[in-house]
Amino acid sequence: MPAEEVPHPQDPADALAAVVALRRLADRLEDAAVEQAMREGWSWPEVAEALGVTRQAVHKKHAKRLIAAGVTLRRRS
Amino acid sequence: MSTIDHYIQAILIEAGAEAREEGAALIEAHHLLLALAAHEGTAAQRVLTAAGLGPRAVRDALDREFEHSLSAAGVSLAAFDLPRATPDPKDTPKIGASARLALERGFGAAKGKRDLRPAHLLLGVLDTEIGTVPRALALAGVDRAELMARVRDTLPGEAW
Repeated sequence: MPAEEVPHPQDPADALAAVVALRRLADRLEDAAVEQAMREGWSWPEVAEALGVTRQAVHKKHAKRLIAAGVTLRRRS
Repeated sequence: MSTIDHYIQAILIEAGAEAREEGAALIEAHHLLLALAAHEGTAAQRVLTAAGLGPRAVRDALDREFEHSLSAAGVSLAAFDLPRATPDPKDTPKIGASARLALERGFGAAKGKRDLRPAHLLLGVLDTEIGTVPRALALAGVDRAELMARVRDTLPGEAW
């Protein structure tokens, strides 16, 4: 949408709740996007670079869940 | 362990399952509300159900709050088309800050540990004007103060 149509929450309660909701959405999006990338054969270093974090961080956060989900993971390095 | 200890343990397990299903790393106050609404055989659950807040309705209210809060930042949930991530069945979400506050308020609502019952825990979740739970209830058209009054009405007579 054009910039002038982006709402600016006036009420602090709405603005703070928007922060909480955006974090929740970003977490969900990260889980889904990492899973999708790994299913399509991306490596840990590639996913880490795309997210701008270390591969240790992305591995620690997602490896157990993806293994449990039955995703075939490429070698870590 | 006493009956209330078993109940709290069951609520935390259920709330943890709700958090895991959402892909959340922490149990928050709204996960406790979902668990309290789902756990049958308590005055807390009966009051919620009578107010039209069964587990499904609570979940719907929370979903609405999520979409509403995102929209305040110009984000539409419907615009995202990624497949859902697979939840980790072994993940055990820890208790987050909002759930800890709700539990502390619930404990504080009782006259000591022997008096502590599910209704106190529900009061603890409801007794705030700030955060996801009161926002979701307001969006669902629920009068939180009146709901709390009905929960308090169940307390005399040592009803479980």
